[in-house]
Parts: sequence; structure tokens; C-alpha cells
Amino acid sequence: MPIAITKRFGDLEYEETAAIQFPTGLPGFDNRHRFVLVEEPRLAPLAFLQSLESPELSFLTVPVHVVDASYELAISEQDLETIGMDLASEKLCLALLAPAENGRLTANLLAPVVINPMTRVAVQAVRSDTRYSHQHALEDICS
Amino acid sequence: MLVIRRRAGEALVIGDDIEIEILETAGSSVKLGIRAPKSIPVARKEIHVVGRQNQAAAGTISPLAVENLLDQLKSPSLRPISAL
Repeated sequence: MPIAITKRFGDLEYEETAAIQFPTGLPGFDNRHRFVLVEEPRLAPLAFLQSLESPELSFLTVPVHVVDASYELAISEQDLETIGMDLASEKLCLALLAPAENGRLTANLLAPVVINPMTRVAVQAVRSDTRYSHQHALEDICS
Repeated sequence: MLVIRRRAGEALVIGDDIEIEILETAGSSVKLGIRAPKSIPVARKEIHVVGRQNQAAAGTISPLAVENLLDQLKSPSLRPISAL
């Protein structure tokens, strides 16, 4: 199994089939295309999206429906084409977490990472509406 | 904010090096042409916002913040309705 050098996890062994490809990178990280999702049982449902190209780059993620059970995904035709899916098919949608000024974590519901569960091709689908925030306060977790 | 009304075919100049032309108006959307030096990035606003937010997300997240979040997620009062 290939091994990725990572700052957070040390030398990380991973299945090649588990690698997630972002053909278009992510905003702010346009040249980062390959990641793997690292899940520790203790941290569920959180998971780290670890770059396979930059050892120090990892994002903490949470499934969008854990943050907002009624979340409705809006994804452009172009982004659907990037991941090779249609609107109806089930997708894995993760929100990236970031620290707010008060130290608590916020979730980016404006631009979830959307993963094709069959091919592991992914895109960060940035919405063009203002329905959800890029800094959704997690005190407001809606179940 | 400077507010200016323009028609298709008209343009704006910002500083000496940036020009924005209204190419086409159609229904509720506008097609803009932007001339700017390569050194000045131009992006849809939401992409710019998300790029900045990703930089913040890529930074250090304190273990305490993670523990607080996990406590919050495991709190019985937040059990999802689907579990019933």
C-alpha cells in the first residue's frame, strides 16, 4: 500500500482506491488534487481530509447533514460534470471546519466538498446563492 | 460603495490598469469582460471568499475545539430525528 508523509499522522498507509481526486483543486489550493479521508473512530463523525501532496495540509471535515439535517445541496452543472454525476445520485457531502475568532469551529456550508462515492472524484461545490454561510456557527447544529 | 449604472457596450476603468466592460445584459444576468494585469487575480466573489475560508480551515485547529465539538455532537439533546 502506498504511504503518504503527513505532519498530522506521520507516515500514513492508505489504499490507492481510497484516494480522492480533485481535478480542479480547491479554491485557494488550485494545485492540490489528491487527498485521502482519515477517520479515527474516536473522532466520528469528524474526519480529516489529508493532502497526499502537501504533508502539512489537512482539513477537518464533518458531513453536512450532521450540521444541518435539512441541508439542500446546490451544485452547478459544471461541478456535476467534474465529478461525473447527475443531480439525483447520492453524493458524499462534507463541510470543511475552521476556527472562528472566538476559537469555536464553524462549518463552510456555502461550499461543501462533494465526493462521487463510486469513483472518489470530488469538487468543492461553491454555491452562488446566499442561503447558507461559509462560517456556519456550530452552536446552531440542527438535528 | 461607488454605484454606477451602465448599459451593454459601456465600460468602467479602475486605477490605470483595470477595465470592466459590460458585454451583454440578458434577463437577470450580466456578461462582463475584465482587462487587468496578470498580477491582479480576478475571481467570482464567492470563490474568493471560499479560498480565504479554506486558508483558515487549513490552519491549526486546537484539540480543545475538536473535543468541544465532539461533546456537542454526542449530546443526547442533539440526537438526529432519524434515530427515533
